[in-house]
Amino acid sequence: MASTLEIRDLHAGVEGKEILKGVNLTLHQGEIHALMGPNGSGKSTLAYVIMGHPQYEVYSGDILLDGESILDMSPDERARAGIFLAFQYPVAIPGVTVAHFLRQAVSAVRGYTAQKNTNGPVGSNLIPLREFRQELNEKMRMLGIDPSFARRYLNDGFSGGEKKRLEILQLAMLRPKFAILDETDSGLDIDAVRAVAEGVKQLVGPDLGVLIITHYQRILNYIEPHYVHVFYDGRIVKSGGPELAHELEAQGYEWIRREFGEPVAHA
Amino acid sequence: MRIQERTREWTFTIEAVHALSDLLDEPDWMRDLRVRAWRFFEEIPWPTGKEETWRRTPLRGFHLDAYRPFSPERLREIPTEGELATVYQDHLAELASSGELIMDEGQAIYHHLAEEWQARGVIFTDMHTAVREYPDLVQQYFGQLVETDANKFAALHYAFWRGGTFLYVPRNVEVTLPFQTLARLSLPHSAGFYHTLVITEENAAVTLLEDFFGGQEGMHDGVVELFPGPNSRLRYAHVQDWDMTLWNFGTQRIRSSRDSEVIHLISSWGSRLSKVWITLDLVEPGARGQLLGVYFTTDHQHIDHHTMQNHIAPACASDLLYKGALKDESRSVYQGYIKVWPGAQKTDAYQANRNLMLDGRARADSIPGLEIEADDVRCTHGATAGPIPEEYLFYMESRGLDRTQAERLIVAGFFEEVLTRVENEDVQRKLEATIADRLGVPLEDLGY
Repeated sequence: MASTLEIRDLHAGVEGKEILKGVNLTLHQGEIHALMGPNGSGKSTLAYVIMGHPQYEVYSGDILLDGESILDMSPDERARAGIFLAFQYPVAIPGVTVAHFLRQAVSAVRGYTAQKNTNGPVGSNLIPLREFRQELNEKMRMLGIDPSFARRYLNDGFSGGEKKRLEILQLAMLRPKFAILDETDSGLDIDAVRAVAEGVKQLVGPDLGVLIITHYQRILNYIEPHYVHVFYDGRIVKSGGPELAHELEAQGYEWIRREFGEPVAHA
Repeated sequence: MRIQERTREWTFTIEAVHALSDLLDEPDWMRDLRVRAWRFFEEIPWPTGKEETWRRTPLRGFHLDAYRPFSPERLREIPTEGELATVYQDHLAELASSGELIMDEGQAIYHHLAEEWQARGVIFTDMHTAVREYPDLVQQYFGQLVETDANKFAALHYAFWRGGTFLYVPRNVEVTLPFQTLARLSLPHSAGFYHTLVITEENAAVTLLEDFFGGQEGMHDGVVELFPGPNSRLRYAHVQDWDMTLWNFGTQRIRSSRDSEVIHLISSWGSRLSKVWITLDLVEPGARGQLLGVYFTTDHQHIDHHTMQNHIAPACASDLLYKGALKDESRSVYQGYIKVWPGAQKTDAYQANRNLMLDGRARADSIPGLEIEADDVRCTHGATAGPIPEEYLFYMESRGLDRTQAERLIVAGFFEEVLTRVENEDVQRKLEATIADRLGVPLEDLGY
């Protein structure tokens, strides 16, 4: 049965300042949703709140995965439950190689635990190295990523495009139920956008629900969404099919501002 | 009477110095050196805590009287060859080497030097054998670099030194695999005084890794002297893995000849308190040296490194990087000095101390210093201390790692930058294994 991720009347913010003002959105596995809106409308906040960033507080509403609230879960528990966030600004962590980090992540998400046999514990809590390498190589090939990536330090000295491709590689390896792509296309030239989008396209299918958060139409030229939502001042103000994205592209966000007014800070 | 003599518990006295020299059947010059050192020891006052080098490292709770300088009787209690395998196998297995030396309580209990290197004139043995079999060579170098009166503990060391590694590599011999020493104190309440002496002649190359461990409720007072000859390459890794109850003191010094390249690394994992002086003397043009350090402190541990980059000759380069991670109420002190002497033009000298604070109660003091008496030099130094950035943790957690796993990976990665500078994969692997051990996790879990 397909999983669902449901965001129900979500109000959240930072230090008492409300940024999300009643978000309602339901994703099913296999669906691609695009969340479009101007800068500063709270799109990235939504992504962080879904992932459980400790800096944000939820004031009311809920996020449900298959009907169960995830609000009390830590970020790693959410990841293990099948939620993935591709970061807009992935952090660089020197000294930790991509391959080793990913092996830990894959093992954690897939729930590897040490097996015991007559000789004692075997294989610690990690996916067997051979199996992991094989899968990593396969995914890197599929995404057109150079094998040398695996030995580099996590995002350390990576170009903008490389960082985003590494996010997609992680998505491919972790096989979540739901992926949120936060401005994955931002800051990339058109070739890089294409490369990243082609990667995502190979991963979409019946087992993955995707929420593409973007400012522009251009990534949607490669990945056709089933649904498009317009996000403005902390909530979804309009939803529709793919044609809505084209409309936004043609008219910009001005008409949204006219129709829904300037953002008003809630007291 | 004889029985009494045999079982006598020696204390730190001039009689004990002679008794030890008798026991070891040493040549006069070595006995004289010990006696001279003992006089210095008596002359040099105990640190009061007011001296610059001791200001942040109080010796409260350390009582020399609590230890015995040596005990012939107790030596019989150290493990036999049969027990060797179980105790040392893990340590040895981690590194393929050109030779191994295992010592316990200052006494060599296993020794191996690959024939290939023996045939080419390489000497790798314990210090006492070296004194006996290569007296001229040893006398030429022993105690010439770390002076017998360098400090109170160096004086004590020279009066009572026992055991240690002697490594000599003749001209044009490049030893491929590292040498490895395991130096242990297996008995509780021991006082250890290991002495390391490494000489590389012109165009030679060698790597030595030393692993110090054991020493429950004990003390260790060691000296390391490294002599990289002209155009030679010398790598030295000192793994300080003493028991958490041991008091550790050390004086280490390197004298770099023309165009030589030295890498010195100390990893300080163990001991309750550790005070180590490390000095790099660049005495001839073209010498290059790296001083590397890693430390991880927990509980009430106190680790103090005091370094000196001494640029005496022109056109030399020194690069220092010390990185530490601190937990609980532990404390680290890093005191580092770069001195550029008059005439040491074209000096390149760098120094950095980075601390990762894993706990708000831990404290890292970093005191860099520069003294430059030449005008055409490049010198930088810097120190940082801060927690793991929250964004690192959130990023890793968002990939399914729990906080502990994430922290460990980040700490391991933090040290990795130092370990890769050793430029020897075998040694790097070995050091990584000690980090994993220190963090109490399987090596694989660190992502190495």
